[in-house]
Amino acid sequence: MNSDISIVALSLQIALIATAVTLPLGMLLAWLLVRKKFRGKFVLDVVVSLPLALPPVVIGYALLWLVGSNGWIGQVSKSLFGSTLAFTWIAAALAAAIVSLPLVVRSFAAALSGVDTRLEVAARGLGSGPWRTFFTVTLPLAYRGVIAGGLLGFVRALSEFGATIVVAGNIQGRTQTVPSAIFTRISAGDTDAAWRLALVSVVLGVAALAVHNWLIKRSANGNESTSGGAQ
Amino acid sequence: MISFDVQLLRDGFTLDVSAELDDGITAVFGPSGAGKSSLLNCIAGSVHPTGGSIQIDGHKVYSATEKIWVAPENRRIGTVYQDGALFPHLDVRRNIEFGWRLLPENERRLDPLEVAEFLGLAHLLERKPNDLSGGERQRVAIARALATSPNLLLLDEPLASLDGARRGSILNYLKRVHAEFKMPMVYVSHSISEVVSIASKAMLIRDGKVEGYDRPSALLLGAATAGGDVDSFQNIVDGVIGESTDHLTTVQIGESFSVNISTRHQNKTPGERVVVSIGANQIILAAGEPQNLSARNIIKGVVTEIWSKQGKVFTEVDIGHKYIVELTENALKDLGISVGNDVFLVFKSSSVDVFDA
Repeated sequence: MNSDISIVALSLQIALIATAVTLPLGMLLAWLLVRKKFRGKFVLDVVVSLPLALPPVVIGYALLWLVGSNGWIGQVSKSLFGSTLAFTWIAAALAAAIVSLPLVVRSFAAALSGVDTRLEVAARGLGSGPWRTFFTVTLPLAYRGVIAGGLLGFVRALSEFGATIVVAGNIQGRTQTVPSAIFTRISAGDTDAAWRLALVSVVLGVAALAVHNWLIKRSANGNESTSGGAQ
Repeated sequence: MISFDVQLLRDGFTLDVSAELDDGITAVFGPSGAGKSSLLNCIAGSVHPTGGSIQIDGHKVYSATEKIWVAPENRRIGTVYQDGALFPHLDVRRNIEFGWRLLPENERRLDPLEVAEFLGLAHLLERKPNDLSGGERQRVAIARALATSPNLLLLDEPLASLDGARRGSILNYLKRVHAEFKMPMVYVSHSISEVVSIASKAMLIRDGKVEGYDRPSALLLGAATAGGDVDSFQNIVDGVIGESTDHLTTVQIGESFSVNISTRHQNKTPGERVVVSIGANQIILAAGEPQNLSARNIIKGVVTEIWSKQGKVFTEVDIGHKYIVELTENALKDLGISVGNDVFLVFKSSSVDVFDA
């Protein structure tokens, strides 16, 4: 039981760090994709969505190469900390972030599309700069979709397995997350212990999705009533 | 004073306009797609022109050759959009204070609550925009722009989503705003009635080019009769309620409310401010004073202008306020009137619409 708690705690830690990365990065990417016109937008869209279309194992393998001693992330971390990030919980968080990023970007893009750009134009005309406009007009009007997207990314990060096990391994107490612990227990034939963690996963997943769906429904209703103008 | 020389190339459309506007209310008039809103967006800074320059009160906010570009938030221009574009997550008070809060304290020339009071919004401050009527939304949008004490107020079809009664009321508010705060305004519209009612000068834009810049009635009715395409023109004037009998109410109109007209009975108290609207095609023109008529309104005036083209004629008659009257080419010939002649306007009390100001 004690090891269960520490496994869940490590999983939550990894997913939280991953989410802390995907929230600002996802918002920046969604904003670029929804609000801006630029060359290479199509390419960026494909690259951001790619993790949805690739086997997570492939992402893990590519990431392993990047954080290994030959990859640029590996070289930076080696010169800073004297070691690569391979087989650390940070590598697991990176893997979780990359895999959940497309879901976050898509949710944020949908949330941003729901905000009437004329309101942003009006705010600028009233003396509000672009950043202030984002935080006082865009974000407050999109917040339900943004929270929902963050939740979706968080549960995706929690359930990440394929990429994580390649780049971070399955080291008990250091990189073993809930999914990799379930995998170990199934392999060892310890079905009771596997079921316990599976149940935890289901409870977390159901709770997060319920809140997510509730928020999306609320934001859809909200946008309907805010679009009014003509009588 | 606003001067601009703006070029904008966009998807096969070219806007190329230049003008100097005075501190009055200038209407920008033209068919949809003529480039009216594009011009407004260039002045406001939400659209980047392809070339030219824009100057407001001696400050250049844009110049292609000098590479000057002032961001919209630093231009001190207030804009009122067609449907208000109010922030739905903020109540009326927060909407009105939105831009005012961003001003440095020594530049807060107007008190948002006084502006709200002026526009009759004091009782709505806690409401959210979704709980307002169309007319109330527009008044909040005007108040929100005013509270930033802008150097220029831009209005982009501010009445387009309102019904007739509310149009007159908002027009009246805008006139009072201009009289009270002395703010130059640029008013984009495709309604001749609105433009003639509110603007001191009008600019006619067609296919991205300025076709005329003149007194509104002179420019627009001339242009409209030439094109043979005038919507039913409404004479919209301010008025004050006078005496009432069982069936009729007198409304004073004109420059100093010197002209009395009879309308159907209004449930209003004497002295109440109203907006009066009469269709140009509801008025009969008489060369001499008519006798024994059922029509309640027979008002003497002087013909100040006549436009005539392809069977359609508009005359402008000064009765203390300039009224536009529509008639036919034949009727004009039979009447034998010309500019400077005395005439009588005849209309029924039931042809007059009276709205709350």
